Amino acid sequence: MTRELWMGRGARILPPVVLVAALVAIWGWSAATGLLPRWLLPGPGAVLHEFDVSRAVLLKHAQVTATEALGGCAIGSVLGVAAAMVMTLVAPLRQTLYAYALASRALPLIVFTPVLVIVVGRGIVPVMVIVSVTTYFPVFLGMMRGLERSNPDRMELLYSLSASPTQILWKVQLPSALPYLFAALKVAASTAFVNALVTEWIAANAGLGYLVMVSGQYFRLPLMWAAIFSAALMTLALLGLILLAERLAGRWTQQATEV
Amino acid sequence: MTSASAASLTRADTASEATGAAGLVAQGVSVTFRRGTQVIDALKDVSLNIPRGTRAALIGASGCGKSTLLRVFADIVQPTSGTASHYGLTPAEARANRVYALVQQGSTMLPWRTVIDNVALGLEIAGTSKPERLERAAESLALVGLKGFEKSLPAELSGGMRQRAAIARALTLRPRFLLMDEPFGALDEITRDRLHFELLRILEETGATLFLVTHSIAEAVILSDKVVVMTPRPGRISQVIDVDLGQHRTPATREDPRFGHYELMLRRALHHDA
Repeated sequence: MTRELWMGRGARILPPVVLVAALVAIWGWSAATGLLPRWLLPGPGAVLHEFDVSRAVLLKHAQVTATEALGGCAIGSVLGVAAAMVMTLVAPLRQTLYAYALASRALPLIVFTPVLVIVVGRGIVPVMVIVSVTTYFPVFLGMMRGLERSNPDRMELLYSLSASPTQILWKVQLPSALPYLFAALKVAASTAFVNALVTEWIAANAGLGYLVMVSGQYFRLPLMWAAIFSAALMTLALLGLILLAERLAGRWTQQATEV
Repeated sequence: MTSASAASLTRADTASEATGAAGLVAQGVSVTFRRGTQVIDALKDVSLNIPRGTRAALIGASGCGKSTLLRVFADIVQPTSGTASHYGLTPAEARANRVYALVQQGSTMLPWRTVIDNVALGLEIAGTSKPERLERAAESLALVGLKGFEKSLPAELSGGMRQRAAIARALTLRPRFLLMDEPFGALDEITRDRLHFELLRILEETGATLFLVTHSIAEAVILSDKVVVMTPRPGRISQVIDVDLGQHRTPATREDPRFGHYELMLRRALHHDA
């Protein structure tokens, strides 16, 4: 049983690991043979070496970006969940604001960054603001959808028990919405670092995005790629954390067996 | 809340005892639904009187409005005209005071809660303290034969056990009316048979009035003192048949020649109308 389980897990993990190893090998081979010009993408050895040499620089900038991305993601998620809950409870608010909340998604928010810089100055704050705003939308929409799509039989049961709207929200709608929330959090998390990086180009003098821009300008390509990989690794770590939380909340999030 | 509900219940009791009024009463209840341009008469001028303590079954083909009538009593559907009442309380008052308990078709459970927390849900909403509601939920679970499954999750139970849990949840509120909407429809026949007699025993122990919607003739006969036959388009009552098989019923009741007689009567009533 345990052995089968282990083999099952091995069979699942092995193909992606082999794929990554193969990609790195192809990358190394094409860099060594000069197929890939060095000014475009240095070899894996050079990038790895850069991680070692510029550890202090990378760490410093990674800390800034992590603060912006994680902080923004947390603020945006909390606001998104709270807004969805309030709109669920207060029908007039939902009727007036929901359409605008949907429509505002069409705004390319990042273009407001220069204005934001004028108002709050350069640094962590404007980046965190942009990340939290871009996180807010998927979380709000996912939560709203989850709250609206609660099983009608469960809603009817609570109604027959004379439950108040707040009780219905806490006891049925919120738990029912958790799978939707986690799906939305994964979307938000995967874009948080990207948005932080791009915003740093305009609004910051530190962070991995700033480092990518500057090292690109000075043709320090190994450093640029090391910064890009650092951001990717942090995104993966954040996704991993969310998956872990989802697994830990298993009873609430695994509703495949509809009861 | 508690004192208000107690007061209104006392008032309702005195009123019904003074006038000899019945338990569940419908007077000229009509319900019309609009589906696009179509107007559907789900219920047309339905009048009904189920005395307290009676076990009543509502039977009829799909679309005859039997579930709609139950939903009128549960305050889920509002009648277009006419009135419905429980012991003189309107359905809205009955719901607010938790005079009735609803058992739905699908034994609805909250899958993230343990069985005992599901069963205690009604008391939790009513604001009963945690030790008391757990104690009463455990009592109810014992009554439906689910002792030992308190900490299980609903997904770990069979369909029949979930249905028992749904009945237990309804019982924790000590309702005067048990409104059941095809509660055994999704179960296999063996489980259904067993649950029928458990329900009868529970009704004897609690003295609750049963209002059961079903499409099974045998189920209607074995469970009830009064069978209300309904016909569709428009939904109305065609006959009310009193089933005189005594208060206490056992599997042997089904071998009673009168059982077959009632089954035949019901079948004729249903087919005659169709």
